[in-house]
Amino acid sequence: MALVTVDGLSFSYPSAPAALRDVSLTLEPGEVVALLGPSGSGKSTLLRALAGLVPHFHGGRFVGRVVVAGLDTRRARPAQLAGTVATVFQDPEDQVVMTIVANEVAFGLENIGVAPSEIWTRVERALESVDALHLWGRKTTELSGGELQRVCLASALALEPRLLLLDEPTSQLDPEAAALFLAAVERLGAAVVLSEHRVPRALDLATRVFFVDGGRVLLDAPSDEAVEWLSVERPHYARACVNQTQATAGAVVAELHGVSYSYRQAMPVLDGIDLELRRGEIVALEGPNGSGKTTLARIAAGLVEPQAGTVELRGRAGYLSQDPGRYLVKETAIAEVALAVNGDEQRAGAALDRVGLGWAAGRHPRDLSSGERERLALASVAVAEPDLLILDEPTRGLDPEWKATLGDWLQEYAASGRSVLLATHDRDLPAHRRIGLRLDQTHASSEVHVGV
Amino acid sequence: MSPGPAAALLAAAGTAAMLTDQLWAVALLALVLLGVCLRAPAERRGVYLFGALTSALGVFILSPFLWSSPDGTILWQGPTIPVLGPLDVTTTEIWEAALNALRLAALGLAFAAYALLLDHDRLVAAAGKARRSALAVALATRLVPSLERDAMGLAEAVRGRGVRLEGARGYATLLSPLVAGSLERATNLAEAMEARGFGRSGVTRAPRPPWSTRDRLALVLAVVLVLVAALWL
Repeated sequence: MALVTVDGLSFSYPSAPAALRDVSLTLEPGEVVALLGPSGSGKSTLLRALAGLVPHFHGGRFVGRVVVAGLDTRRARPAQLAGTVATVFQDPEDQVVMTIVANEVAFGLENIGVAPSEIWTRVERALESVDALHLWGRKTTELSGGELQRVCLASALALEPRLLLLDEPTSQLDPEAAALFLAAVERLGAAVVLSEHRVPRALDLATRVFFVDGGRVLLDAPSDEAVEWLSVERPHYARACVNQTQATAGAVVAELHGVSYSYRQAMPVLDGIDLELRRGEIVALEGPNGSGKTTLARIAAGLVEPQAGTVELRGRAGYLSQDPGRYLVKETAIAEVALAVNGDEQRAGAALDRVGLGWAAGRHPRDLSSGERERLALASVAVAEPDLLILDEPTRGLDPEWKATLGDWLQEYAASGRSVLLATHDRDLPAHRRIGLRLDQTHASSEVHVGV
Repeated sequence: MSPGPAAALLAAAGTAAMLTDQLWAVALLALVLLGVCLRAPAERRGVYLFGALTSALGVFILSPFLWSSPDGTILWQGPTIPVLGPLDVTTTEIWEAALNALRLAALGLAFAAYALLLDHDRLVAAAGKARRSALAVALATRLVPSLERDAMGLAEAVRGRGVRLEGARGYATLLSPLVAGSLERATNLAEAMEARGFGRSGVTRAPRPPWSTRDRLALVLAVVLVLVAALWL
């Protein structure tokens, strides 16, 4: 018997066009499905419908039927489905309830009435499965984005659900942590719907693929068939398209010597790092979660003073934070972008067009989807054409087509005599140099050249 | 100490400060609470101490002008303002201003100690049938550091675009997005909580360490503190 049956589901959020149109599908127990599609195509809404959050939490116009483990979601509230269904949302920062990590993982178990004697054992097991046992007593407010994402994943795994819904669960994880998590998901044996823009990651795990666009399921096929379909219909999803060009490295735009930084005494994040950035090149900073990529990027941008060492900037730097929510200051998208160019709406309009958001110029930035917000943030920083453009995890929430566009644009940007510094886990972006930050035994990062 | 008795003790200190009319007693309570707050990490306690101490200072400076007393010696004779009356400052008004400022400081510092040093998760767990209310209070408490972090993030993102934020007016432009952001976060959090079974019947509790003798003594001390303040001070 199918674990999930979706029959003729159409849904519109209040005062909005249809987000899902006549979706019908079934899901068997233990089946792992990759849910692919462009930003704003309805993937997150479909996940919410499977969790019962649509229509109960969001309201709107709901037509059709969703049955999960024998429960009709029109009658069963999401809280009743919890335990049978577990969801990990896109933004880990917005789903943490408790102050201490172990209590956060225990929160869901307490809610669904797990026997008290079992709770700590399950918390421990779940944290261990995502390599986060060392975070047990840490405060959730003090964790990095990647660490927080692992805690959210552990919270879902601890519930041992029959249906696990994952909305870009590895967007902030380094490759090792992502592989570890996906292995834990596989071991769980639950049915999984994995919405993920890093397609190879999803296809490695999935036995079946749904491709959604415009609220419709365009493809529902086994993985091997899906790969063929994608290579014809959506080639960016079938393979990473890195059209790497050669760098013509010019004058130095930023020079960092012996840079050290620590957030807590005796726990340095960076220790004696040297970095030279030249015009015409794209440099990628790589390394595991917590290795100091963001800190080094902020220091290079002049936003943070290093505690030791020197930073010399020969030009203007622009910095894109990894949280696109920080670029929602103005009332319209065009005003948001124009902020960096003294209100010049012509330049702002051109920048919006470049990221495919020309249509959203008059819209409130908060009305945009997460992928659209990421593009808006990018336009907001790049519009001023800084000599050194620093991007921290710029592909978070970007679908493969936009990621390829971003890659091409970054190469054009560097070729125009400017420099780009990326702090990223994503190897699909082009880079002329890749610099690895690795954690040593003192938890400080040291630099290692990892290739061109 | 367990967070339940510690919260009771802090609440008792705040209540005692409101009940007593003895300036020295309120000052002593405020000093003790300040000492407790100083045990919190320096980078976290700043905003709370600033809030508690500046509001107390504000009360001390303004209240002699806003409240008149015919008693005491006149220290300064000011003009008479419509609605507010004479702006004289007397020794009684100064004494009352100091008392009220210290009361406010004690309350603010008690809240700061609660926010900075207590394990709110265990408070929620210990709340029994009032778990929902306790969780709401714990989440509201976390609003202060999360707003502070968001404000710093917004300001940094603006600076990262090459835009300079100057003066109070520059930072004030971030107020509206800060509020909108926190509302959006609250909605997302509510959704995540519902998806994780919050509000369902049959809730259980993860086992916690039992109360120690110190915890019981703290509860007794809390009761004694309120009684002494109400009856003898």
